[in-house]
Amino acid sequence: MKKVTGSSHRLARMRSKNRSGFNSEQASETSSRLMPVSHFRVFIQCMFCIGTLILGFRLTTESSFLKASFQNPEASFTRISARTDSSASTGTESQFDLQLRREFANGSKGSRLAYNGTIVHSSGGVRVDVGRHAILIRPWPHPDPFEVLHAHHLIKRVQLEQQQLYGSKESKPIIAITTTFVRTFQAVHLTGLLHTLSVIPVPVTWIVMEAGGVTNETAHFLSLAHVHRLLHLGFDIPMPAGLNERSKLEAQMRVEGLRYVQKEKLEGVVVFADEGNIHSLEFFTEAQKVEWVGAVSVGLLGFAGFEESPQSGIVHVHDGRVEARGNHILLAARQAAAAPRFEPQVQGPACDSNGNLIGWHIFDPLPLEGEVHKGMRAAQNRRLEWANFVLNARAVWKTEGNQPEWIRSWDEWANPEDGSTPDIKAIVRSDQWVKVLGNCGRKVLLWWLRAEARADSKHPNKWILDESLEIIVPAKSTPWPRRPVRRAAPPPPAPAGGTGMKHGAGSRVSSGKVRRPKRKQDQTNVS
Amino acid sequence: MVVGFLLLLLMPSSRSATSISVVDGNVVVGEMGEMLQLRKRGRRRRGHVSLLTCVVGFLFLCQVSRLAAAAVLHRHQRISGSAGDVLEDNPVGRLKVFVYELPSKYNKDWLEKDPRCLTHMFAAEEFVHDFLLTSPVRTHNPKEADWFYTPVYTTCDLMPNGLPLPFKSPRIMRSVISYISTHWPYWNRTEGADHFFVVPHDFGACFHYQEEKAIERGVLPLLKHATLVQTFGQNHHVCLKEGSIVVPPYAPPEKMQSRFIPPSTPRSIFVYFRGLFYDVGNDPEGGYYARGARAAVWENFKDNPLFDISTQHPSTYYEDMQRAIYCLCPLGWAPWSPRLVEGVIFGCIPVIIADDIVLPFADAIPWEKIGVFVAEKDVPNLDKILSSISPEQVLEKQRLLANPAMKQAMLFSQPALPGDAFHQILNGLARKLPHDPHIYLEPGQMVLNWTEGPVGDLKPW
Repeated sequence: MKKVTGSSHRLARMRSKNRSGFNSEQASETSSRLMPVSHFRVFIQCMFCIGTLILGFRLTTESSFLKASFQNPEASFTRISARTDSSASTGTESQFDLQLRREFANGSKGSRLAYNGTIVHSSGGVRVDVGRHAILIRPWPHPDPFEVLHAHHLIKRVQLEQQQLYGSKESKPIIAITTTFVRTFQAVHLTGLLHTLSVIPVPVTWIVMEAGGVTNETAHFLSLAHVHRLLHLGFDIPMPAGLNERSKLEAQMRVEGLRYVQKEKLEGVVVFADEGNIHSLEFFTEAQKVEWVGAVSVGLLGFAGFEESPQSGIVHVHDGRVEARGNHILLAARQAAAAPRFEPQVQGPACDSNGNLIGWHIFDPLPLEGEVHKGMRAAQNRRLEWANFVLNARAVWKTEGNQPEWIRSWDEWANPEDGSTPDIKAIVRSDQWVKVLGNCGRKVLLWWLRAEARADSKHPNKWILDESLEIIVPAKSTPWPRRPVRRAAPPPPAPAGGTGMKHGAGSRVSSGKVRRPKRKQDQTNVS
Repeated sequence: MVVGFLLLLLMPSSRSATSISVVDGNVVVGEMGEMLQLRKRGRRRRGHVSLLTCVVGFLFLCQVSRLAAAAVLHRHQRISGSAGDVLEDNPVGRLKVFVYELPSKYNKDWLEKDPRCLTHMFAAEEFVHDFLLTSPVRTHNPKEADWFYTPVYTTCDLMPNGLPLPFKSPRIMRSVISYISTHWPYWNRTEGADHFFVVPHDFGACFHYQEEKAIERGVLPLLKHATLVQTFGQNHHVCLKEGSIVVPPYAPPEKMQSRFIPPSTPRSIFVYFRGLFYDVGNDPEGGYYARGARAAVWENFKDNPLFDISTQHPSTYYEDMQRAIYCLCPLGWAPWSPRLVEGVIFGCIPVIIADDIVLPFADAIPWEKIGVFVAEKDVPNLDKILSSISPEQVLEKQRLLANPAMKQAMLFSQPALPGDAFHQILNGLARKLPHDPHIYLEPGQMVLNWTEGPVGDLKPW
């Protein structure tokens, strides 16, 4: 392999260097077929030796390569021929012989010199030889930019056709409302979400509500999104640490987002695209079908209770159709080959066999072993997530919405008098008006990835370290405790040196991965 | 100028392109010289000019109307086979098949010994037997039968790793033929010319997995007159008998049909392939396996972002195929592969890299219209070939592939549906009817030589 590419490089160099010498060799090689081979071979060997001494590298392979490139386009491919017919003798002579033999063999098909193995002779037509074949590689086996461009045009045309044939006929714009705040895993979740929203074929208005005010970090992520309209709004209250309070604040932020929709009288389908959610594109096409209020099923990931869950319903994600058959051997074999099913936790509408909404699947997580946040069970207080619901934007308009009377007015449900958090389900007076999407809730269109870093974990700004780390501490002896215990005094110094947890705008993290010599002045930074 | 323009239109584009690229100025000047000469003779050619414009205008109108018709075309297109629309023929009523009752050592015992025979890619022989037992074409009266079927499972002797050993298969076949020739008179009546056998192994009835040995052995002599239903198909090859019916390899229909993704998922992979490029175990030096074609694909396109090729088999293999435009189907040790079936089911245009291959049901399915054929020596230019196919052609191929009749014809569906592979086999058999009266031999006339073949085959089983 390397020899092949090396020879092509050398060929390029040689071509630029020494043109005249080549023509003579070419002429001599063409005449070599006419004259007796034995005398001329000696002469050629002497020429090559002298040429090698002058130029400094072997001439044989390049010369025959050049000859071949002018012969026929087929032989211009470099051929990797396995060492089947290499004789025991070393040196340029055998190499040269090998090259000539190979070229001759390529010139006349059916020659048995290069191929060992039986050759199938037949009456006529194309014969395919059995035996060892050469692996054809073109001189520059790398992508050609023009062809890549053609291919991309082709892909685009195919995708356009697909959308015209199979895509939904309606194309209502999507209004996505997301709540976010700066934290370690914001990059993970937000990047996924922004790419999803960028590829939706309909115009997307993305309203991002950020707890703690507008920050540059979030703005940096949002600049990567290709959406029709992006709104980055800040919410002055910072995000609290507990999950209960977090969900309350998120609800309030979403209401703020809806208030923006109401104020600007935006049209379209409102989708609560949470950060930790993984949306399938089918979700957005299903969402187009909503008239006023729709409900979808949300699957839960990152959660231990996968195998069986008595609380939530069983949803078959992959529906393998096994039909009854009379032949028992075949049936037994097919059952053995059937794909295994897994039952994930799913939250969402429950339908009866007629397709009417009869209830809701809600999940109640079992307490996990060693889980730090004991308050988690209380947080999942038998409420559906906002992500389960899809709204028509007109449902939140104050005036000119023409909402049917079974949709509560804005003041009723969004600003409850008792100060409780607004619940999205309260927007309808009764469940019967909710349209169930996604094959009556059987198809899970979005997944909620419940993965978060610890609340006190630090991360560098934009995940880029601008300056080198001042203090490197081996990971085994990080001062962070297993439990979120508030420390008044700094922890005792670790064996490798002082620890410095700098709190500031560009919060740095001392990671123990890289070992660096500690510096004396860092000792003074420990406060 | 008009003459020159028309000449340029009518000249084959490839020739002019290469001529300009190779030599810098000479050929172009030559063309211009030609044009200048012709202009001098322009007056004589004015009649020809008007004719040419008429022709060009007519062609243009034809194009426009065709495009308009294409725009009206629905999602899928009807498949017209080379023999007419034979894909949707119904074989019931056109032929009668008698199924021999054989002792279980020829069929059921093998299944009980190793039930993997029902799921590997040679399972067609079991499923055809299953289908014929309950099919309306079956007759219990051998006197009115057109075709006789022998349910023998020759590809069910599996090694621990799942691949079948063909070494006993010739003896098994001899044994079963001697059984049916002694218990029923119908074999001796025609020396097997109205019998058909299903031999789905690598090289069909040559009963060997290595091509050289298979060619040496040739088709089993006793099956010289019988019709073979096999997966192997290659022109001018000893192991493809004339009159054989080439069928697709078995692919489990439920497994594939349960893995469909919504068709609106955009196809974003240009070329997709998963499989071996070098068979390190059997061919460490390269060059034998796939006649070097798979290795050439790897060496030329391993760093090409348009080619999603790898040896790692992901669990989303079927879903990925549905997101790809082209699926490579290169030959392996044998020219056929289950990738063709998978590509057709999932709407991925098959790129067939196997010289001289005979594709399944070639008389009913117009494979040139559906797939792309690339010669093995053109593999280094594969990206150029594939990206130079016009979008209209690609869409046409995809429309043909979307036809449910096409997908149905590739599957051995359980239970049998109209138009599936079983029915295509029966259609093929029905097309060979009526039998030539010369196949009926005089009593006592023997054509087959029962002692022909390697000595090892003559041992009884």
